[in-house]
Amino acid sequence: MAVGHEPRIVGFLCNWCSYAGADVAGTSRITYPPNIRIIRVPCSGRVDPLLIVKSFQMGADGVLVAGCHPGDCHYSEGNYHARRRLAVLRPFLEYLGIERERLRVEWVSASEGRRFSQVVSSFTEQLRKLEPRKGAEVEVSS
Amino acid sequence: MNATEQIVAKARELLESGTVECVIGYERATDGVNARPLFVYQAEEAGKLIFDQTCAHNLAKYLLNRKGKATAIVAKPCDVRAVNLLINEHQVERDKVLIIGVVCPGMVETKWGRVSEKLRQACELCREHTPVVYDFLVGEPGDEEAAVEYPDVARMEALSIEERRAFWEEQFSRCIRCYACRQACPGCYCSECFAERLDPLWVGIRIAPSESWIWNTMRAFHLAGRCIGCNQCERVCPMNIPLSLLNRKLEKETLELFGYRAGVDAETPAPFATFRKDEKLEVGE
Amino acid sequence: MSDYISRADLLSWLEKVSQSRDLVAPVKIEDLTLFQKVERVEDIVFDPGNTDLSPKEFFFPKSEVLFYVDRSDGRVELVPAEVEQETVIFGIRPCDAKGIAVLDLPYLEEPADALYRQHREKTTLVGLSCVSACPECFCTSMGTTPDDASNVDIMLTEVEEGFIVQVVTEKGKALLPEGLLSSKEVSPPAAPSVASVPSEGIAEKMHQVFDSPYWDRLADRCLHCNVCSYVCPTCYCFDVRDLRSGGRVERVRSWESCQSPGFTKIAGGYDPRAAKGPRLRQRFAHKLLYFVEKFGVTHCVGCGRCVRSCPVNIDIREVIQDVQGLGVKSEA
Repeated sequence: MAVGHEPRIVGFLCNWCSYAGADVAGTSRITYPPNIRIIRVPCSGRVDPLLIVKSFQMGADGVLVAGCHPGDCHYSEGNYHARRRLAVLRPFLEYLGIERERLRVEWVSASEGRRFSQVVSSFTEQLRKLEPRKGAEVEVSS
Repeated sequence: MNATEQIVAKARELLESGTVECVIGYERATDGVNARPLFVYQAEEAGKLIFDQTCAHNLAKYLLNRKGKATAIVAKPCDVRAVNLLINEHQVERDKVLIIGVVCPGMVETKWGRVSEKLRQACELCREHTPVVYDFLVGEPGDEEAAVEYPDVARMEALSIEERRAFWEEQFSRCIRCYACRQACPGCYCSECFAERLDPLWVGIRIAPSESWIWNTMRAFHLAGRCIGCNQCERVCPMNIPLSLLNRKLEKETLELFGYRAGVDAETPAPFATFRKDEKLEVGE
Repeated sequence: MSDYISRADLLSWLEKVSQSRDLVAPVKIEDLTLFQKVERVEDIVFDPGNTDLSPKEFFFPKSEVLFYVDRSDGRVELVPAEVEQETVIFGIRPCDAKGIAVLDLPYLEEPADALYRQHREKTTLVGLSCVSACPECFCTSMGTTPDDASNVDIMLTEVEEGFIVQVVTEKGKALLPEGLLSSKEVSPPAAPSVASVPSEGIAEKMHQVFDSPYWDRLADRCLHCNVCSYVCPTCYCFDVRDLRSGGRVERVRSWESCQSPGFTKIAGGYDPRAAKGPRLRQRFAHKLLYFVEKFGVTHCVGCGRCVRSCPVNIDIREVIQDVQGLGVKSEA
């Protein structure tokens, strides 16, 4: 199993825009690849880089962070903070040997069901071109 | 008067006058050649203080144990930036700290019982010899301000992604998770570190590559835009993991993206504590 | 006349040993010298001086699975881990060998620790006596000597071109093939002189100074990292957790240190040793007082690793000296 595999994506979607956008995709019967596992978060600003790093440690092939468009944050500025952190995290992960393309950040509004589907589709395709990541033997509290 | 004599005289004066309760400086270590931190509470003990090129410890870390108590600290330029960081983050009050700044000649490579003449790598790359702030200065301020450069980071960036991954896996595999890097770092002061959280469990107890990978990655990232480059983490690492290569990558990124260097002053908000609405960051575009 | 082996014969014997067992010896890893499984006998470091980490990890690994839970067939069964691999540790110094003898006291005391005992049974120790002393060593003050052969199975002493061999135990004898050793008219070099530390009566003195403000002052500069515990050949504290790993539940034991934050934290969040002074004192009280009272020997073998590795020069030799002095002062 190498190129052409089924990548596993962890998607952190903000409650107010992107999660609602994913919902719209569903209710409008717009399909998107089942490779994404969605985790609803209150805001993209809540996505501690630790969540992303942990996902990669546990073997995620890609991580998607999606939030409200800049200016539209439900909490006014959460996505601006997210933007700064992720702008630093991405080159840092690349420096550690995790390809830049594996961390994707997108602004998806509550009405952009089609766009959400496109993001997940193109991300999945992009990740298919990369080698699958090995899931580390990770400890989980029992 | 040389640096040591000036520090001794100043410490004695501060303790005799009751201006501070404690002076944190350096004394000779038991190997006879290196330095170690010294806490002076009595004026008559001030004579033990020394300053030379083995005084590599960043004493600002100890201010966290002396919150609210008037303390003087012997501080090199990087240590002073750590004091600024702690003031900026509301960990230390400026009026409780008296900074005995020292014009820094650069610290040398040392091992137990041995002192070389070679500058430490962090000092070799450092461009700051005069502290950015002080209450009393030891030595003559020079004019400086050469551009900050990152040749070590550039060498790492030039490797292929596979080479970098292999390099870090190899380095982190040696980690014994003694947490000396965290304990020595003036920027690491969480009352409960994420590495000690049990629920959720971020870092398992296993001293194994996957757990060491997440530890080292997040330790460094928590200092993004906050690391002042004193390189204590690397100095104290018993397994010689090149942690400065991680810190300096993040320092370089935050400098390039936000024009920010931690600890240069105590007021400018750190990059992750603020934002600009109109900035272009190649994220979400 | 002494039993003797040339350096070339020793290496080819070790090469043979490594074919049937794990051969562990000091090797260079970047700037460090560490006990590791040897790939090529030429890599073995014979230099004087202690390795950066002690060989305790071959008996008390950094992390080890104690047992796992088998839940197949609807039953729940605890499957204990077992040590299969026969190991030979070559080049162990007398202080480290003594360190293992010290670890035996808590771990082999009944009920013995099953895994530790298996590691111990499956491992043969080939010692190398010290012909020169490191400046940080103080073994002779801690109940051993640079040529102490009492805690190894075979002891080697370097002489010109080769080694004098002392076969100490049956286990050691079993490892050596017939005819490997020759007889030679060589005498071992004089044991090096090792700096001494006033360890006489230290446990009693520790009692007297237990509540001294000395500990708080000493702890002023302590960073409370775990370096001293992890480089120490006798520190044996650990943490245990049940973890899901690779689809099954395992009970794992990992190194832990009395110096780490939260080591003594108990339910409800209370930490009886939260303060810096008592926390640091614990290390020395365990080494020089509690262990002595329980087992009759100091929990320190004088290898000097903590002296060398401490980032802020907390030096057990100085602590012993200070503690001895403190008692005197309080009487005066």
